[in-house]
Amino acid sequence: MSLGDRTHVSRRSFLKGAGGVAAASTALGAAQAFASSPQVERMSGSTEIELSINGEKRKVKVEPRTSLLNALRNHCEPPLTGAKLVCNQGSCGACTVFVDKKPVYACMLLAMDCIGKPIATVEGLAVDGKLSAVQEAFVARDALMCGFCTPGFVMSVTACLGKNPKATREEIQKFCSGNLCRCGTYPRVFEAALEAGKQMQGGK
Amino acid sequence: MEPVTKGKADGPQWGPRDAMTLLNHNLRRVDGPEKVSGRARYTHDIRLPGMVYARLLLCPLPTAQVELDCSAASKLRGVFAARGLGGKTSMKTGFLGQPIAVVAAETPELAEDAVRAIQATYKALPWSVTPEQALSTEGGKVKDNGNLGKPATEGDEDKFKKAFDSSAAKVEGEFHIPIQHHCSLETHGVVVDFNGGETATVYASTQGTFTVSGDAADALGLKASQVTTIVDYMGGGFGSKFGLGVEGLTACELARELKRPVHLMMTREDEFLAAGNRSGSIVKLKVGADSEGRLIALDGDVMKLGGIGGGAFNKPQYAYSLSDSKPPSQDEESGKPARPSKDGLHTSIRSLYMHTDSSRAMRAPGHPQTSFPIESVIDDLAYQLKIDPVTMRKKNLANEVHPKQLDRVAERIGWAKHPNKTAPQEQPDADGTKTGIGFAVTIWGSHGGAGCECKVAIGRDGSLQSIVGSQDLGTGTRTYVAAIAAEEFGLPLSACTAKIGNSNYGNANPSGGSSTVPSLAPAVKSAAYKAAQAFLEHLAGVVKRPIEELEFRGGSLVDAKVLPDAKEEKERKAGKGPKALMTWKEACATLGAAGISGEGRWDQSLTHADGVHGAQGAKVKVDLATGRVQVLQMVGVQDCGLPLNRTAVESQLNGGMIQALSYALHEERVIDPALGLMLNANFNDYKLAGCQEMPEFVPLIDEDDIGRGPIGMAEPAVTPGHSAIANAICNACGVRLHSMPFTADKILDGLAALAAKGGTK
Repeated sequence: MSLGDRTHVSRRSFLKGAGGVAAASTALGAAQAFASSPQVERMSGSTEIELSINGEKRKVKVEPRTSLLNALRNHCEPPLTGAKLVCNQGSCGACTVFVDKKPVYACMLLAMDCIGKPIATVEGLAVDGKLSAVQEAFVARDALMCGFCTPGFVMSVTACLGKNPKATREEIQKFCSGNLCRCGTYPRVFEAALEAGKQMQGGK
Repeated sequence: MEPVTKGKADGPQWGPRDAMTLLNHNLRRVDGPEKVSGRARYTHDIRLPGMVYARLLLCPLPTAQVELDCSAASKLRGVFAARGLGGKTSMKTGFLGQPIAVVAAETPELAEDAVRAIQATYKALPWSVTPEQALSTEGGKVKDNGNLGKPATEGDEDKFKKAFDSSAAKVEGEFHIPIQHHCSLETHGVVVDFNGGETATVYASTQGTFTVSGDAADALGLKASQVTTIVDYMGGGFGSKFGLGVEGLTACELARELKRPVHLMMTREDEFLAAGNRSGSIVKLKVGADSEGRLIALDGDVMKLGGIGGGAFNKPQYAYSLSDSKPPSQDEESGKPARPSKDGLHTSIRSLYMHTDSSRAMRAPGHPQTSFPIESVIDDLAYQLKIDPVTMRKKNLANEVHPKQLDRVAERIGWAKHPNKTAPQEQPDADGTKTGIGFAVTIWGSHGGAGCECKVAIGRDGSLQSIVGSQDLGTGTRTYVAAIAAEEFGLPLSACTAKIGNSNYGNANPSGGSSTVPSLAPAVKSAAYKAAQAFLEHLAGVVKRPIEELEFRGGSLVDAKVLPDAKEEKERKAGKGPKALMTWKEACATLGAAGISGEGRWDQSLTHADGVHGAQGAKVKVDLATGRVQVLQMVGVQDCGLPLNRTAVESQLNGGMIQALSYALHEERVIDPALGLMLNANFNDYKLAGCQEMPEFVPLIDEDDIGRGPIGMAEPAVTPGHSAIANAICNACGVRLHSMPFTADKILDGLAALAAKGGTK
């Protein structure tokens, strides 16, 4: 998944201190030493930023280290909890959202890096309460069980078919290989994606 | 089996399957739209005014003396609490990842800071985190009386030896089965809504809505009746989520102290270390068969690896039964155990304890561990005797359902045309691979129990509600709770709303052991029946006809004596409905403001307790140069009594096969014995099967099972898949793997060993 073209400060490099912001010291020992000095009562600070989410401008109070996922889920009011926190390390895709129209792991991006970029979440897919072709196909084909991975899969399949509605099962499998499911919905997800692709091509 | 569907003559009955309009059909999940749109609110997603985020600190050593200083953490701005669990500042821990402290802060980021600011000193104590350590004299003691538990034994060793010596074919093997993790995508945790008043609400990611409130109330200083538990949606449990747990208890204590709502969900790493697992095993098997392929001797020596817990294992012979060792007489029909006998059986099962978290129930506890050794040995014996492995199984299976299921799997997977049934493929294909097919079976005793109390309510506005506190783990419970009620009146699924996941509704059993369907479905059916009877009685008064002459058909009130003719049937299917005395809307409009309802409890006559069966087959391709195993196809046949929703049953069967594929090829908890650290407590390093490894899946409902009410089937679906894959690998390339997961290095080692012995390569 692409993180966009701009020079990017990843959450990891930021946490290592490469971001150059002294707010968060994260090595265990350093944090302890830092916090235990008598003057310290704050290890970080937050600021208000504006994010463009599902076509709306939203004011969000975040810290430099706040991931886009945490910003959406915990710092937006009302919160956007469709994207799920599962692995917090870019392994499972349950937090997949679009930034600049590209699918990304929201847990691997800093919220501050998304200022000025259009962000789209699963909550924005249905128009006036009408499910998208992909969402409709997921329901019709039982491409969900517990449903926790489902928003991420819906976003990945939407991105895949957005690029190529004629994607084959193999192409869908490859495109969605960054998404994990534990209940075992995979075969139904592929069926749903193929079905949605047909719908998007005009219901042939 | 009799082709009847059970029920009481003068009470609720499932009725004939071909008359059903919803049950035994493919139904869309009623909560699908919520789940695909991100609107479904899981416990993780609950946000409340004034809520604080709590986080646990886990002990990074297997066992240690811990001293805690939380003063610095407590001082941080935005941090509301930082303290040792139970208020302790000094403690001895007993397993790797034991929770020792908790913090609560305004944001998740601040909670992370607070955990890091806790100053803990750890004095390591001697530990045992691997079986080798636990068995050695240097390893730390987990239990005072030694790390090896007392064995549960069966049979006579001398009799086994005699039978084994007389066997025509003999196999011995030591099988290593690693610890597996549930990996529910939603971690364990709760959100406690409490502000210091008289009532509290606990949102819980749990398999048991009614397993939470009691303990939560104790921790909150309330009565159980003052605490409501809500499980609207939950993101997977697979056996690991029962009760409040240490995380839930801690969250309740914090909420009581702070008089604020508390959100405590475990991190992914916490989940791997302290939220349970499927126990591993070391299994030594010695098995002998007579020249006809009948098992006559089995010695099983099992060590269960469940950390500080006991672990789980079934009977080492699993679904098979031994025969006596006398030669079969001429007239004996082959295809059945000759004369079932336990003479040649000797088994010993015990626990080996380690300083890791306790194993918990995980989808068919003990069964997958039991399946792999015995199914492998059966194939080895079949190869020695040159007996088709399917035939070999049929000769020894303890019940009559499996043989037919095996035939169906064999047919679907193309076994008849498969050239190499009792030996590996001779020459590799042009792409350097060999292909094989393997089989295995599954059993499960899923039966329901009393406890469920469902209410079906009809409103004057035409609403139909099916209400029970049960949780839906993703299996589709919410959908059949609605479908059973709608079916009773001949209404479409969309006409009924299922209200579940709330401890203020009628009681429901926790979802374990595939017992939800056989416990809950009869209660819903009874409630729907009673609601229908009460409604008919009311309507009899309205239309001034005896109740015997009335029934609901297609949602409408009709004359029961007028049987639906073909034309009417056609009209009904076209959505026009039969000639009705009253439409549903008209009938409902005659009700008072309170509507009318029926309450139902579990009814033994609406389910069966004689268990379920399944058989699965796998076709794999093994790359001889890289050792890569690619699963090409998995076929599963499963019986389940009356399928409430065929789509959901097939999805469960798919899910079982997929988890088994993942278990076969990837999953393993890895702990460094010297450092006492788990090396793969995250989704990067603990590998789960993903999109690109998915073969074709063929989930088949056993159509021969027509006489029974609904029975749970999710657990057995997970049991045989990895064993079938192991057998398929051996059938392809001749490598018999004794250790899971079946990674490329083990295949290559096996191929090298075969080559050294002069075998094929």
